[in-house]
Amino acid sequence: MTKKGDMLYAWTNDAEIKKHAELGGAVTALWKYALESKAVDGVLVITKGTDLYDAQPVLVTDPKELAKTAGSLHCGTLLLPKVVKKYLDGAANMKIGVTVKGCDAMAFYELAKRKQINLDNVIMIGVNCGGSVSPVPARKMIADKFGVDPNAVHKEEIDKGQFIIEFEGGHKGISIDELEEHGYGRRSNCRRCKMKIPRQADLACGNWGVIGEKAGKATFVEVCSEKGAALVAGAAKAGAIATEAANPKGLEIRGKVEGAMLKLGDKWRKKDFESLGEGKDRLKKIMSETSRCIKCYSCILACPICYCVECTTKNPVYVRPGELPPDFMFHLIRYAHIADSCVNCGQCEELCPSEIPNALFMHAQQVELEKMFGHVPGLDMELPLHAFVEEKAERARLANTGSDMIYENVFNPVQKK
Amino acid sequence: MGALANVYSGYQSVLVPEMKKKMEDAWGCDIAEGKVGLTVTTLINTLADEPGKVKAVYIMGENPMLSDPDIHHVEKGLKNAEFIVVQDIFLTETAQLADVVLPATCFAEKDGTQTSTERRVQKWRKAQDPPGEAKVDWLIISELAAAMGYAKQFPYKSAEEIFTEITKVTPSSAGMDYARLEKPEALHWPCPTKEHPGTPILHKEKFSHPDGLGIFTPIEWKPPAEVPDNEYPLLLTTGRCIWHWHTGSMTRRSPDLEREEPTGWVEVNPEDAKELGITDKEMVKAITRRGDITIGARVSKDIKKGVVFIPFHFVECAANILTHNALDPVAKIPEFKACACKIEKIKEA
Repeated sequence: MTKKGDMLYAWTNDAEIKKHAELGGAVTALWKYALESKAVDGVLVITKGTDLYDAQPVLVTDPKELAKTAGSLHCGTLLLPKVVKKYLDGAANMKIGVTVKGCDAMAFYELAKRKQINLDNVIMIGVNCGGSVSPVPARKMIADKFGVDPNAVHKEEIDKGQFIIEFEGGHKGISIDELEEHGYGRRSNCRRCKMKIPRQADLACGNWGVIGEKAGKATFVEVCSEKGAALVAGAAKAGAIATEAANPKGLEIRGKVEGAMLKLGDKWRKKDFESLGEGKDRLKKIMSETSRCIKCYSCILACPICYCVECTTKNPVYVRPGELPPDFMFHLIRYAHIADSCVNCGQCEELCPSEIPNALFMHAQQVELEKMFGHVPGLDMELPLHAFVEEKAERARLANTGSDMIYENVFNPVQKK
Repeated sequence: MGALANVYSGYQSVLVPEMKKKMEDAWGCDIAEGKVGLTVTTLINTLADEPGKVKAVYIMGENPMLSDPDIHHVEKGLKNAEFIVVQDIFLTETAQLADVVLPATCFAEKDGTQTSTERRVQKWRKAQDPPGEAKVDWLIISELAAAMGYAKQFPYKSAEEIFTEITKVTPSSAGMDYARLEKPEALHWPCPTKEHPGTPILHKEKFSHPDGLGIFTPIEWKPPAEVPDNEYPLLLTTGRCIWHWHTGSMTRRSPDLEREEPTGWVEVNPEDAKELGITDKEMVKAITRRGDITIGARVSKDIKKGVVFIPFHFVECAANILTHNALDPVAKIPEFKACACKIEKIKEA
């Protein structure tokens, strides 16, 4: 009887899935079962687009189409939850399964808190993520540092701290540390990330801790919720996957790998945030970098925390229209509204055409706010420090409390009279 | 792409008999004797000043009623034409004058390629079907050609087939195909063979002349055709702003872009403004020998004393009502950037 908290090795017996799978193919097998048993209406996953460097999101509704989505693409730098909000109606009327990295899982919760996604209709299978590499820098890295034509690479992976490529005529691995020493490697926000095993998803899967005879052939599955337990139990009963308890030594190793990755995250946070300086120096640096802004709105469109229909940056009272670069107020509005909940997903930086280190700036502020107020975004449904309200409705609510003690009433809402 | 009046694709001259023969063989038809045709600007002058010489005009994706100099003159010219066809995605100011309007497709509604002034050729990938009866541009042309009896010469079933033909008759694109264009960096022409990596930077080692040397041409300074004088004491220069593209037929339909700059303005130096007795945002009249417009003033140190600037995107205060269609003798480019102007305070009645 699978239950929340179980640690398992899982693998598929489906030959087609096995062919494409990185390890045990458990994630793909679970999705296939979920579709076939109608536990979900569709599965939102990543598939290879034009080439190895092009990760395309795809909503799969035919279980037969799933096999080719197995495996991993380390150049998949996109964030899925806002796709669900914008194009799948926030899962209001459709049950969706989504494979999530740590940042995807955190973004889902932030969107759910703001009533933009119905999490009851979403099953999240989390995957361990050591970080992703932006596609065009990845190609440059492979050409310049590996000395290989990026078009000749047919497989890439990150394993045991190395970026490894397989190409016509061989394979080559270089340590991530060395690559990042020379300005290559993972995205800046990924290096700072400490959400390596997304336990707020329904299942957390990966290859860390799979040792013994199942090494390379099974997926580690940590059951994180009742929903996850039901999915695994159903899939095992239907023969879609086979499971066995995880090797305790493997569990220990998994813990060690996670620990090492978290330490690495701490090291990069220290380095990145210290490089920003403090006080006026930090402000000067931020004002200088953001002066390249061309108001393309990519950061705002991509940010999982941004959901206002009428963005305050479009209010001419705050930001004079027609000006480029926009007044620094444009960015101050972003910082004021987002910093408490930033999950360091990095999309604002990944998509900025002016290469402004937006995620670095926002994340630097988020860690300070976390120290001050103790709120950790992206873990659960704990409400953020502040949120958008409609003025009239909020004034009415406060008036109904019959009290003029605003602070008390905002933080300890009194029932309507 | 052969859309100029003097060349086939790849800048191959229509005057060179070998080029004409090559195209006749490729297209399977006769081609009239090679002659340089009318440029966009000389066309309007011919229509206006020599009525009857040009009978019909077929305009694709261009809005001369707002983008050409001396709009009153443009209107006179277009109204002299017997027959005007406009193929566009919106009913522009020019389309309003057309006898037939053919609705075409925007970038998101068609496959194909675009080539920038960087010489980079990039793929377009259709994302959605066009609305209503709008048709993809190459199909409109093919169907028209068929109606004229040239169905055989326009048998295309896809944009890719047309691209393949381009590469067959254009040596500088001969090495390109859709598969090679799938990479983010795509290909720069010249790309003469399938193995050639394309040419991101031209003239790296030498210039195109036989001895590899470049030719410098000194230019004698000449004033613009019309310079400021006592009657029109200011120099009017026109141009763009980052938020709008050309006549705004697309950008002014975007709420976000229109919000940034919802209408035009005339930039006036603070000293000139003081002399004229006008203040920032005040509605003023801008007048040249060609016409006048009412427009809001933007008093700013960003414009030199003696010079005023008006962006040309906004039909309600169209800069090109004022501009001069004096043309450069070689390229026939109009003097959008310099003519004589005066600004007048609007006195309440």
